[in-house]
This record gives sequence, C-alpha cells and structure tokens, in this order.
Amino acid sequence: MSDLLPLTKPTLLFDGQCAVCRRIALWVQRSAKNRAGESNIVERPIGNDPDELRSLNASLNIWDAYAVIHLLMPDGSMKQGGEAVAEVLRNLPNCRWFAWSFRVGVFGHRPFQWLLNGAYIILSKSRPLLGCESCGTPSQWMQPIRKSAKWVQSLFVKPSEQATKVHSTSRPSSKTS
Amino acid sequence: MATKTHELGQDIVSTVTADTFETLVLNASGETVVEFMSYGCSHCHAIEPIFQEVARTMAATQNYYRVNVAIDSDLELSYHIEGTPTFVMFLDGAEVGRVEGPDPTLSSLTAAVTQPYHS
Repeated sequence: MSDLLPLTKPTLLFDGQCAVCRRIALWVQRSAKNRAGESNIVERPIGNDPDELRSLNASLNIWDAYAVIHLLMPDGSMKQGGEAVAEVLRNLPNCRWFAWSFRVGVFGHRPFQWLLNGAYIILSKSRPLLGCESCGTPSQWMQPIRKSAKWVQSLFVKPSEQATKVHSTSRPSSKTS
Repeated sequence: MATKTHELGQDIVSTVTADTFETLVLNASGETVVEFMSYGCSHCHAIEPIFQEVARTMAATQNYYRVNVAIDSDLELSYHIEGTPTFVMFLDGAEVGRVEGPDPTLSSLTAAVTQPYHS
C-alpha cells in the first residue's frame, strides 16, 4: 500500500475506551521520555476507523488491535501481546536494564518472555475486572473472580456511589458485552 | 459518500452514522438489519464473521448496516441499546424486532435476523 503513514518511532496502540489501558498508556508516556525530554514511543488510541488504522500498517485489523496490544515498528513490522510489552519496556529508560532479559534464550526457549506472555494474557483477560468499561464481560473462567471482586467492592462502596460509577456503555446484561 | 464501506474485500456491511441513519435506515423501503456494536466488544468480534456471512447470503433481500455505539452514542440511547451486539430489524423504516447477543453461529444469527419478518 503506497499511502502508508511513515512511522519514525515505535507506535503503541491502546484502547482509549478502556480505563486500565488509558492508565497504562499514561504511565508509558511518562516513562518513555529520555534525558532530552523526548519520548521514545508514540502512543495513539485505536479509535473507530478501520481505514485510518490500515494507513499505519496495511495488515492491521481493528478487531485485532482491540483484542491484543499492538506496537507498530518504524520498519513496518508489528509486535503483539507479550512481545509488544517487552519491546515497550526496552524503550523505557527506567526499564530497559531488565527488559533485555526477555531476549535471553535457554535451550532455544526464552523463559522470561514466556512468563511475560503469560502475565500479559492474565492482565488482558482481567481488564473487565479492573475497570475497563468497553471490554465486555469477562471470560467464563474469570466469572468467580469477578463475583468475588464485586462482593468485596460492595463491602466498601455504598450503593449510591456505585450507581454514579456506572458508565453509559457498561451494561448489566449478562450475555452481551 | 454517505457511508463508509470497508475495503477488506470480505466486509460488505456498511457503517451508518447519526447523519445517515435517517436516510439509509428510517427512510429505506424493505428489510434492513442494523447491528449496534463496538470494536472493543469481544462478543461483537466473535460474531463479526458470522454477520458478514449472513449479510452476504441475504444481501439480495435485506440491507445490512452497523452502528458503532462508541461514536454514535445518541443512536445507542435513542434505541435503548443495553448491550452489544444488538441487532435491530427494520421494515420500511419501522422497527419490527431486535435480538441482543445471539449465539455466534450461522443458524442462530440467520434465524434471529429473519424471524421478525416472518411473524
């Protein structure tokens, strides 16, 4: 595709409708500044325009972008999931000292990257529990944790306060998301 | 262009917005199916390929559109959408039925979007 927008820095796509993702993106934004005050990473919300996203990378699918974290590299490649997280950490001045461990290989495997991939999957699946109003209902195996979290929340938050926290896209419906 | 048709090749469902909803849905004659969805919704993601297939199969007799509730929240409120995906069926611009979060199977979705027109 000839009309791709050139990327000069790694570009992190995040779900702008997800409170958890916004908080993480803000942390990355603050942490990504180098000594000169310039950011090593560009961030942008995924948005709602599939065509606009494809102008960044022709193979980028908006559904996939919402499902898994994507980091668009200046060379045209894309990193996803735990690999994207590792690359982001390598670009943060305060984290790169340990982020290189994710490249360490043992007998053809990368154990630290493997752990990071697992941690990312758990965090990703937990987003509905952590305040992501746009992520839909949690997976079936997360439901007991969700109920427990709601029970704990009910102990500390009055019903009137809970009512004010309901977002317009947060639905009580159990089946739909 | 009033609507945006995605260029994936397999995406034959057009996005309708608050600006075009009246023209394309309310003033349309015949059968029109509108999916209220958002790209961040995992259930919408799961049903998307099924919806595409149903739309392709039924294209001769029905019009298919999607409304992105993340953008058009006014439409979401107007139609009292309580979860995504919700499929609302219109006949000559009037709502004749709706279904929330149908099973992401071809038979289930096909039945859901055709049943209101046969009852």
